[in-house]
Amino acid sequence: MLILEFLVKRIAQGLLIVFITSLIIFTLLRVVPGDPVRLIVGGMAPPDVVEKVATKMGLRDPIIVQYGRYMRGLLQGDLGQSYLRPRSGMIAAGGQYVDPTKSDMAPVTDLILERLPFTLQLGGMALLFALLISFPVGIAGGLHQHRWQNALAFGMQSLFVSIPNFWLAIVLILFLSVKLKLLPALGYQGFSYVILPAVVLAVEIAPFIIRTLTTSLGEVMQAPFIDEARVRGLSRRRIVYSHALRNAAVPLVNLLGIQLSTLIGGVLVIEYIFDYPGLGNLTVVSVVGRDFPVIQGIAITTSAVFVFINIIVDLVAYLIDPRVEI
Amino acid sequence: MDLSLILEIDDLTVGATTPAAAPILDRISFRLSTSEIFGVYGESGAGKTVLSRALANWLPESLEYRAGRVAFAGHDILGTGAREVRIGRDIAYIGSKPQSSLDPTVPVGVQIAEKLHSVRPEWNGRECRDRVMQLLDEVRIPSTKERYWDYPSKFSGGMMQRAMIVDAICAEPAVLIADNVTQPLDVTIAAQIVALLHDLCTRHKMATIYLSSSLPTLGQFGDRTAVLYQGRFVEQQAFAELLASPQSDYTRKAIASVPRMWETAEGPLARRQAQGEAPLMKVENVHRTYRARKRGTFNTYSNVQAVRGVTLDIMPRENFGIVGESGCGKSTLTRLLAWLETPDSGSIVLNGTSLGALSSRDLIRKRNEFQLLLQDPYNALPPRTTVGRMIEESLLIRGSFKRADLRKRVIAAMAEVGLAAELYDQLPNALSTGERQRISIARALILDPKLLILDETLSALDQREQGRLIELFSKLQDKNDLTYVFISHDLAMVRKVCTRIAVMYLGEMVEIADNRDLFFDPQHPYTKALLSAAPTLEEKPFDASDFLLEGEPPSPIDIPAGCSFASRCPKAFGRCRVETPRLVEHSPGRLAACHLLDGDEAQAAA
Repeated sequence: MLILEFLVKRIAQGLLIVFITSLIIFTLLRVVPGDPVRLIVGGMAPPDVVEKVATKMGLRDPIIVQYGRYMRGLLQGDLGQSYLRPRSGMIAAGGQYVDPTKSDMAPVTDLILERLPFTLQLGGMALLFALLISFPVGIAGGLHQHRWQNALAFGMQSLFVSIPNFWLAIVLILFLSVKLKLLPALGYQGFSYVILPAVVLAVEIAPFIIRTLTTSLGEVMQAPFIDEARVRGLSRRRIVYSHALRNAAVPLVNLLGIQLSTLIGGVLVIEYIFDYPGLGNLTVVSVVGRDFPVIQGIAITTSAVFVFINIIVDLVAYLIDPRVEI
Repeated sequence: MDLSLILEIDDLTVGATTPAAAPILDRISFRLSTSEIFGVYGESGAGKTVLSRALANWLPESLEYRAGRVAFAGHDILGTGAREVRIGRDIAYIGSKPQSSLDPTVPVGVQIAEKLHSVRPEWNGRECRDRVMQLLDEVRIPSTKERYWDYPSKFSGGMMQRAMIVDAICAEPAVLIADNVTQPLDVTIAAQIVALLHDLCTRHKMATIYLSSSLPTLGQFGDRTAVLYQGRFVEQQAFAELLASPQSDYTRKAIASVPRMWETAEGPLARRQAQGEAPLMKVENVHRTYRARKRGTFNTYSNVQAVRGVTLDIMPRENFGIVGESGCGKSTLTRLLAWLETPDSGSIVLNGTSLGALSSRDLIRKRNEFQLLLQDPYNALPPRTTVGRMIEESLLIRGSFKRADLRKRVIAAMAEVGLAAELYDQLPNALSTGERQRISIARALILDPKLLILDETLSALDQREQGRLIELFSKLQDKNDLTYVFISHDLAMVRKVCTRIAVMYLGEMVEIADNRDLFFDPQHPYTKALLSAAPTLEEKPFDASDFLLEGEPPSPIDIPAGCSFASRCPKAFGRCRVETPRLVEHSPGRLAACHLLDGDEAQAAA
C-alpha cells in the first residue's frame, strides 16, 4: 500500500519535472543565437526565402504558441520531425536543399527509439564494469580501514578521478585497438564495440562508488550492532555479507541515482569519440545542426529516464532499509 | 538444585594493548555454579563492561588479556578450549543498549532466528522460528506474530530489551551475562525486566552474572554480590551481608550514596497557598497535539496527543516538581511552560499576563521573567564562544549596553553562581558538566527572572555536584525570590528539592500533592507504582509487589477511552474503562484523578 502510494506520487511528480524540463529546453533553444532556418536553407539563400521557410515552419509564431503545438503532438506520442534528417537516413547538408516542411523528414520518435537501445546498452555495461571494479576494492577498503586495502582504494579512486575521459578514450583506442588489435573501436557492428567506451565510462564513475562504499561500509562496521553480532554468535562472514553490506548499500544506491547524470554527460563525449551510434552522438550532431525537434526529444527522453531511475533508486533504498522516508 | 561448577575465573587481568597502561581488570577471580545468580556492583568506569566482555571472549581491539583463565565447564575459552565453547550458544550476553543491538534493516524476529540458527545449526529454520515466537510470548511481548516481523525502530526500549533477552536465552546458554540491562529504561519498565530476568534465570537454570551500577537493582536478586572498584573485586558476599556489614570503605560509601526517600519524614517545607495569594504562573487546561503523517496512507494524519488538558498553579517561591516516565509528555509540557511552543488550546498566565496575548516584541521582554535551563549543558552551549560572551548574549539581544558595564554585570552573575571571573574570556571546552551547567544558570540569572524552568537540569551531574547545585538553587531562591519548576524522572532528587509535586501520565496530571503527602501517602495507583519501582535500599511505606505494573503505557496516538491508566492499573474496575476521572482535590492540597478515591469519599459520606 505504501509502495503504491509512493509510485503514484512520484510518477506524478516525475511528469511535472519532465514537463518543466521540456518547457525550459524549448524556450532556451529559441532564445539562444543561431537560426536553424539559416542552416537549413543554406548560407547563400536570400533573406526572404529564410523568412518564408521560417514562417511556414511556424518558427515565427510566439514561443508559447509553438510550445502548445509541440505539447499537443507530444501527448499523441509525436515528437515532431527532424529539420535535418530525411527518412532515408542521410544528413541534409547545407548544399542541397531539402524542404524541412515535407513529410519525408525522419520523425524524432523513430530517431530516438533507434538510438536509445545502444545508449542503454553502453550505460548498462559501463555500470556493470564500474561495479565489478569498485566492489572488491571498496569492500576491502571498508573492512580494513587502517591497512593497505584502504590505501589501495584511496589510490585507485584518486587515479581514476584524475584521468580525463577523452584522453583515456584516445589512449585505449591507440593501444588496444590500433596497436594490439584486440578490440574494435569505431562505429558499431557488434557487441564487442561496446567494451572500450564502456570501460572509459566505468573509470569515470568507479571512483565515486569506491569512495561511498569504503566510507559507508567503514562506518557501518563501527556500529554497535555489528560489534554485538559477534557476541551473539554470528560468523564474521554473515556479519559482513548479510548485515554490514546491507546497511552500507543505502548510500550506495542513492549515489548510483545521482551518478546517472555523470553517465549521461560522459556518454555525449564518449559516443562522439568512438563514433558510437547512441543518443549522445545524435545529441552532439543535432546541437551543431540546430535540429530543435531532435534536441527537445532527447532532452525529454533523458529527463524521463532520469526521473524513472531515481524512482527505482528510492524504492530500492526503502526496500533495503524500512526507515528511509519515501 | 544442581550446583555443579560452570564458570571458573582465575586472576583475570585485562589492559590496553599498550604495555605501560595500568590494567583495567586486575586479578579478578570467582566461581559460578549452574543456576546461580551472581551480582557485580560497580559505578560507571569501574570496569563492568570490560569484565562482561572479557568473560565472553569479546574484548574490543584496543584491549588484551594479560593474564588469567576463563574456564567454561572446564574448557579454557581463551586458549585450548575455545573450539568447544561457542559464544552466543553457551555463553550469552545482554547489553545496556538494546536499541542499537540489532540491524535496523531486518525484522527483529528474523534476526533472532538467524542467530539461533547459526549457533544451533542442528535446528532447522522452522524450529528456530517457532522457538523464537514462543520465547517472545514468554517474555510477554504482546501480539508476538506481528511483532516478530517488526523492525527494531518500531520497538520501545523496554520491548527491545525483552527481545534481546529472548535473543540471549534462545540457544539455551548455560551462562548469561547481563551488563546493566535496565540502565536505559524507565523505573516501572526496569522493575518488570528485572523480575522477568530473575524468573527466566531460575526457570531455565542459567548461571547469571548480573552487572549493575545500581545497588537497589542488585538487591532484587539478593544472591552473592561482588563489588568492583577500579578493576578489582574489593569484596564478595551475599547481598544482605554486604549491606549489613560492608568490608571496605568503598562499599560503605557506595551504600551511603544510594538516595533515600523515606528515611526521614521531613522534606522541603510545603508553602501553603495563602488566602488570596495569586499564583506566579497559571496554567489552564493546555493541550498540545502533534500531527504525524500516517505512513501507508495518502493524506491522513495521526494525532499524537502529547499534553492533554493540564491545569496547574505555580505559586511564588515554590519548588514545583513534575515527574513522569519517558513519553508522558514532560518535555512537551516544558516547552509549553517556556513558551517555546504555543498550546493548541488553553492558556498560560504569568504574573497576570497571558503569554498568548503578547506581541512578539513584548514577549521578548516578558521572557526575562521566565527562563529555561536544559538537561545537557554540552549541547546547550555554543562551543566556539567565550563564557562571558555567552552570558552577555541574553542581555545584548534585549538592548545595547556599555562594554564596561556589561562586563561588570556578567562577572557579578558569574560570581553569584560560583564561576571564577577568569573564565570570562575562556572557551567552554575544558569545563566540567557542573561548571557548564553554572554557565546556563548565569545566562538565565542575568535577566533577573522570577521563574526558572529546569528540564532534567540536574540529571547529568554526579551526586556531589548535584548536591552543590541544589544548595546554589536554594541560596539564589532566598536572595532573588525565585520560583523553580523541576521537570525530572529522578524521584530521589524531586523528594529532596521540591515542595509540591505533580505526577504526569500520558499527557495528563494524575496526582498533585505536597512532597510529604505524595511520598508517604500517594493517592493514585500510578504514583504508587512509580514509587514502588524506584530503586532504593529502604523499606517502602507500602507493599511494592502489589504495584508492579504489567505492560507499557498505551500509545499517545490511540488513547483508550476512560482512565488512560486503566490498561495497566492493578485496581481498575468497570467504570475506569468508560469514564475518564477528573483531577479533583480530595483533601486540601491533594489532587488526584482516580475513581477509587471517589469511592472512598462516597463511603465516608455514607
